[in-house]
Amino acid sequence: MMNWLQTIGQQTLQRIAALGGAWFMLGQALWGMPGPKGLQRLTQQLYVVGVQSLVIILVSAAFIGMVLGLQGYTLLVDYGSEQAVGQMVALTLVRELAPVVAALLFAGRAGSALTAELGLMKATEQLASLEMFGVDPLHRIVAPRFLAGIIALPILVIIFNLVGIYGGHIVAVEWLGVHSGAYWGNMQAAVSFVDDVGNGLIKAVVFAILVTWIALYQGYTCVPTSQGISEATTRTVVYSSLVILGFDFILTALMFGGL
Amino acid sequence: MSNVVDIVDLSFKRADRFIFKDLNLSIQAGKVTAIMGPSGCGKTTLLRLIGGQLEPRAGSVKVLGENLKDLTREQLTRLRGRMGVLFQSGALFTDLDVFENVAFPLRERNAMAEDTLHDEVLLKLEAVGLRGAKHLMPAELSGGMARRVALARAIATGPELILYDEPFAGQDPIAMAVLQRLIKRLNDDLQLTSILVSHDVAEACAIADEVILLGRGSLLAQGSPEQLLHSDDPMVRQFMHGQADGAIPFHYPAAALTDELKTAAAKQKLVP
Repeated sequence: MMNWLQTIGQQTLQRIAALGGAWFMLGQALWGMPGPKGLQRLTQQLYVVGVQSLVIILVSAAFIGMVLGLQGYTLLVDYGSEQAVGQMVALTLVRELAPVVAALLFAGRAGSALTAELGLMKATEQLASLEMFGVDPLHRIVAPRFLAGIIALPILVIIFNLVGIYGGHIVAVEWLGVHSGAYWGNMQAAVSFVDDVGNGLIKAVVFAILVTWIALYQGYTCVPTSQGISEATTRTVVYSSLVILGFDFILTALMFGGL
Repeated sequence: MSNVVDIVDLSFKRADRFIFKDLNLSIQAGKVTAIMGPSGCGKTTLLRLIGGQLEPRAGSVKVLGENLKDLTREQLTRLRGRMGVLFQSGALFTDLDVFENVAFPLRERNAMAEDTLHDEVLLKLEAVGLRGAKHLMPAELSGGMARRVALARAIATGPELILYDEPFAGQDPIAMAVLQRLIKRLNDDLQLTSILVSHDVAEACAIADEVILLGRGSLLAQGSPEQLLHSDDPMVRQFMHGQADGAIPFHYPAAALTDELKTAAAKQKLVP
């Protein structure tokens, strides 16, 4: 019994210490404004975390939009309401699926890459080497990656929305014969830019902060061995996925649940 | 001759294990000093304590006349500007080519015109024989070439003290000979002080003016390579001559083998 309590106490203290460490890392990294060279590094990272995640986002968005179009049509056609498939596809995407699925894919593609990159930089003593040159690795390495993550994911979510909606259009309108005007018109009437698109983008920003923060913290604090890096990469994907789903429920309840 | 490093009553702990306990040693200016000892004795840890990357639990580390524990972050950064470090892995920045790796500390520390910087980098690369490899990426270099680029980067800002962490580890005989010659030549030509962590006895002794032997958390011996090679101390002799058994036992502490075999046999009989 005592051992059990001791283990719980120890693990709780470790979690609190890790949380404190993560806040400290973020504060240190973001202290001070980036100069012109900082902007150049930010642009490079936007390419790495954003542009290089584009293919998986485009392909997933297209298929998810197509599946939504198909499922929506088969459900709505029984009630003679297949003209509403456009608004169903759009609302499902902008409110829920685009931010959540894009964030999950972002965690798997960019988050894991960030953790592995930082872990390898630690293992090959590049971070220690920066310190010895009088350069703060948090400012130089962590800050541009964090900012790039926050900028890239909302843009990826917007792209996800557009491609997904067009995927739904291909299936519902071009294959199944829903009227094109009804598809776009119902969507325009039902989707509010502020309440739906805006809230979806707020979700995207929150997920971007969480995923990038988790990825960078895991990489920066990992044990610098091959096993340590692989464990940290796995933790990034698992923790990010759980946090995305948990926060999605909280944000949905706050935004759409009348809380 | 003045001391570049003074370590007084240093204690350092990892988890519950003392790596050093009340360690005292000094390193003289202008010499190549080799820090040696068995694996896990804390050689690299000592180098990191000298570089201010680790903080001692007790005692003091004085480097180039500055007591590290009294320094602010800015002062420590300035002091590091007077040091160069060659990390065990080379620690080259993988996203920069050879030229940019060597230029990195110059860009960070010195406000230098681009053409002066260009000439300075080429001179450093020429000193390590790799001017022709300036356009290569770290992934395209052999282990020995990577160390030489790291060495050019370490001397780029004209340091007074260079710390070498296992420079010969994993190198072929040619690369090892090249590195040996470079370390000695740079130390003498640039009037540096070099601290070299190694467990390659022959290679380190060939270029070292002084050897510090660490073991069991303290200083085992300090002197010229000849003095240590002819030492009567059993532990010093075992390490310097690479004897498999001796003061540092071959076997990890365990119960007598016969007892353990008997116990295992008895247990087997009990199993039906």
